[in-house]
Amino acid sequence: MHGGPCGSARIFLAESTKTMVFFLQMVFAGLSVGAVYALIALGLNLTFWTTRVLNFGQGSVLMIGAMLTAVLIGYGVNLLLAVLIALVATCLVLIITEVVAIRPLLKAGGSMGWVVSTLGVGVFLQGLASLVFGTQAVAFPDVLFSSSATLQIFGAWVSVQYIAVFVICVVIVGLMELFLRRSTWGYGVRAVAHDRELASLMGIPVRKVVLLSFAVSGLLAGVAGILVSQISGTVDPGFGLHLLILAFVAAVLGGMGSAVGALIAGLGLGVLEKLIAGYYSPAAAQTVAFVLLVAVLAMRPQGLLGKKEMVKV
Amino acid sequence: MNPLHMLGKAISSPWLVGGVCIAAAAGASFADQGTVQMWCFLIVNIMLAQSINVLTGVAGQISLGHAGFLAIGSYAAAILLKDYGLSFPVAVVASVLISAAVGYVLAIPSGRVREFYLAMMSLAFGLIVYELVREWRGMTGGVMGMRGIPSPGLGTLEVFGWGVSPEWYFRIMLVSLIGMMIMLRNFIKSHFGRAFYAIHVSEIAAGSLGISSGGTKRFAYALSGGIAGLAAGFYAFLVGYITPESFTLMRSVEILVMAVVGGLGSLAGQVLGAGLFTYLPQQLQAFNDYQYIVYGLILVFSFTLLPRGLAGLLGTQTRYSKHDQLSGQVPGLDTVLSRRSGSGQALVEVCDVVMSFSGLRALDGVSLTVRRGTVTGLVGPNGSGKSTLVNVISGMYTPTVGDVYFKGEKISGWPAHRVARAGVTRTFQDPRNVPSFSVRENILMGAHRLYTHGAFAASVNSAGAQREEGRFLACTQGLMEAAGLSAYADDPVGDLPYGIQRLVEVARALASDPELLLLDEPAAGLSDTEAERLMALIRMARDHGVGVMLIDHHMDFLEELVDEVVTFDAGQEIYRGDMAGMRDDPSVIEAYLGKEETSHA
Amino acid sequence: MLELRDISVSYGAIDAVKRVDLSAAPGTITALIGANGAGKSSLLKAVSGLVKPKTGQILLDGYDIGALQPHERARLGIAHALEGRRLFHQHTVEENLVTAWHFRHPSGDFKRAVDQVYANFPILAERRRLKAGTLSGGQQQMLILSMATLHEPRLVLLDEPSLGLAPIIVSQIYEFIRGYCDEGGRTVVLSEQMASLALKVADQGYVLRQGEVVQSGESAKLKGDGLAGAYLG
Repeated sequence: MHGGPCGSARIFLAESTKTMVFFLQMVFAGLSVGAVYALIALGLNLTFWTTRVLNFGQGSVLMIGAMLTAVLIGYGVNLLLAVLIALVATCLVLIITEVVAIRPLLKAGGSMGWVVSTLGVGVFLQGLASLVFGTQAVAFPDVLFSSSATLQIFGAWVSVQYIAVFVICVVIVGLMELFLRRSTWGYGVRAVAHDRELASLMGIPVRKVVLLSFAVSGLLAGVAGILVSQISGTVDPGFGLHLLILAFVAAVLGGMGSAVGALIAGLGLGVLEKLIAGYYSPAAAQTVAFVLLVAVLAMRPQGLLGKKEMVKV
Repeated sequence: MNPLHMLGKAISSPWLVGGVCIAAAAGASFADQGTVQMWCFLIVNIMLAQSINVLTGVAGQISLGHAGFLAIGSYAAAILLKDYGLSFPVAVVASVLISAAVGYVLAIPSGRVREFYLAMMSLAFGLIVYELVREWRGMTGGVMGMRGIPSPGLGTLEVFGWGVSPEWYFRIMLVSLIGMMIMLRNFIKSHFGRAFYAIHVSEIAAGSLGISSGGTKRFAYALSGGIAGLAAGFYAFLVGYITPESFTLMRSVEILVMAVVGGLGSLAGQVLGAGLFTYLPQQLQAFNDYQYIVYGLILVFSFTLLPRGLAGLLGTQTRYSKHDQLSGQVPGLDTVLSRRSGSGQALVEVCDVVMSFSGLRALDGVSLTVRRGTVTGLVGPNGSGKSTLVNVISGMYTPTVGDVYFKGEKISGWPAHRVARAGVTRTFQDPRNVPSFSVRENILMGAHRLYTHGAFAASVNSAGAQREEGRFLACTQGLMEAAGLSAYADDPVGDLPYGIQRLVEVARALASDPELLLLDEPAAGLSDTEAERLMALIRMARDHGVGVMLIDHHMDFLEELVDEVVTFDAGQEIYRGDMAGMRDDPSVIEAYLGKEETSHA
Repeated sequence: MLELRDISVSYGAIDAVKRVDLSAAPGTITALIGANGAGKSSLLKAVSGLVKPKTGQILLDGYDIGALQPHERARLGIAHALEGRRLFHQHTVEENLVTAWHFRHPSGDFKRAVDQVYANFPILAERRRLKAGTLSGGQQQMLILSMATLHEPRLVLLDEPSLGLAPIIVSQIYEFIRGYCDEGGRTVVLSEQMASLALKVADQGYVLRQGEVVQSGESAKLKGDGLAGAYLG
């Protein structure tokens, strides 16, 4: 009923519930996409730990994983097979990147070489994808659940896909953390990340550990690409770049050494991005993220949780 | 000389370049509009390539978002002319200044950040500009872009009431390019260019020469921005219609590719790179489909297959000194090094200095004085604190406790470059020369702190600049002769044997006309002849009143040189006196060999 | 059991080790003595495979191991404790021991080996879950030694084990080293700047100066004035 104090109160309540709902929807979307950022950040961290190299082409690897999945399914290939092929492809891409674009440049010393060459891999992949798949965005099919399936949480309707993506990412990050702490390979990676020479003296086959970590990084990138395309609905050859930067922000904020840190930072970043995008504009959100990156790096060049490296003369 | 090198020499000949420019300027009237417009695009690309080269190739600051500068400059120039009615020349100048200012501001966070973090930041810069331009519809027209920008191609551009035709636009651009290139070339060959390159190679070594890495980076970014702004100003009016899509990551990649293929660090290379990538897309229609694939492959393999780009292939050398332009009379050694008076006076005083790194005391209450005109030797086992002391005096570390005084003034807490500027010069355990510079250029860099002429004077080669440069070149010649390095004068230092590199570093230190000279293991790895030459140089410094402190392990070397030797152990002084006494001193022997009896638990 | 023939190591233009011959019999401790920069570390790195010698051969029980990678040599039974107390600072004491054991596929029981370590150095048992970086210098060195001997390698290379440690700790360490060597014919090669220390426990010594061997022989013979000359000229 309208009119009178009770009526206005009800309208007010309805309005604020709507705002509350809107807010919650942004938060859930942000948690979902933020979890993917964390997954991407983890992939970046893995290669960084073992080689001190940040793969500037990782964004394009994400894209390849998503593109291949979408296109293969479009040609009628079985869903699981398509995903498998895409993941094998992304693994191979990372391994080839290590052999061709990173190892030769690490020998030369300095970082400009591998920054440019890994960027080159990214540009190459983008060009290849444009050539083979065209430059237009491709609709991403429903790999997980249906895009119309929704659940109600605290009054807000949330897409089940968002929830699934969130859960998958958190589980993978958790498993990775477990592997790193408990498994043989995890010990190997941590040792190599810490001190390569010392690791080799412990009997750790450094080269194999490095290649394996690149393969896993490729796997993570492929999965992340598929998941993020699922929630955004489309994939195009150029979409990897802004993901790379946001994932990098998450990695830096979380400290390059920590998987859990990347998760927390990723979630926070995702929520922040979606809230700003929802209340202002998507471009404003991206700008804020980049400005955040610049601010963090300017004040704390080692990230929020990373350690300062002493320069010995 | 191989044919490629001959080609390179031919291309760099000023006569050829001048001739081509004049021919092009004249020919513009006869060529069709499409060709002339192509030439204009070429000039824009050359300017952009030079811009990124200054920042990335010379100063070593990677820029993956250079299209951002192009965007800012283009929109600024277009908006100022269209919406604010400024005239075309003013709009272009404004574009230069605005882009330079943006560069300067960008340098502030970028200068503090290392390596790949910087690369990310530059990537983010490019993207932020793209996003801002898309969003700021009111100013820039947003996604739809800005139409109707006055352009010579459409006959709508006017300067002071005169219509600018395409061929005159080209001539204006050509003249601007030539002017900019001449100034840039002079700049690179001056001590400013050397400073840029020095921070690229080693910020720490640059600091020891009095070069402030923060200030130099800001300058490099501003200069790079300004040159990009020049390109941007011309670009906006050339195309008449700009959209955000002209300034995407791919444009930044294109600019980078031009510079890398041309040869980072080389001025001539940029012209070649720009030329190749302006014409290739035109000649090969198929190229457009494969463009990113090609760019990607180039970026992946260029540093391994062709690290110095086309310029390297053709053997063109970018010189960082005006040696070929100037020659002066070689002065006597007395003019190379000033005669310092007050021999025996205390020059630097270290007072109760403690230097502690997270609990570890590298220096534990050290007090020391070095006097003018003397040589003090500093010895001690590994980890005893000798290098740490040099690092504290030279300003690389600030003492945890205690102070350092130089000529009565407290210098502890000063940044290294400021200490160097005051007259304290140091060398490093591994010679930190610039490997691609010649012996001459390296030694000349030592004089950095003594230069007085400014960047503009350097760029236009004013009389004062020429005089000063000539004087320092002559000093360099004198030092090379004193050190026996004349035979290697124009050889890149990186190719020379270790002992020669060491001598170059010491000669460079002397070129700074220091009052205090700190040498860290200078005799390591030297042959006997080289050690003799080194001794001669040190003696020369001492005889001119320089205070010398010398760390080394070679006792025979020290024997002949030092007036006094100080022995360190575990961060403290355990002996001071002459060499003979040191040999017999029980605490010194114990420090090196350990106690005869170790106490049992 | 370890033999070095005509080994030279160069880093670019700098010759760190010049044509060194060396041999160490099983069950002995060999000391490498010399000033900083004499080439001791480079020599040890050549044996464990971290650097590739320019010339010469390295023979372990008669087999040329020159072609083997460091991790392969580690699995053969060569342990190298680097100078500067290098261990995995971010890992706990236990994790360090796991890393030192696991990848060399040793025979035997890990738990028993770790218990032995804790018996030798009870202080490590107390701190087993603490990060190695938080241990004192002496404790870190004990951990490093334990990591190097856990799997009972036949050749142990120690680079300046006593650097920066208090005399009491140094004694403990040297006692441990002597004990390890005597028990079962293992070989130890250690380098020290402090000659007297090393020669007390070693059976033989090599004195290095600027990459060359200037004196060698039984440790008793090496003590004396000649030594000082190698450092002080």
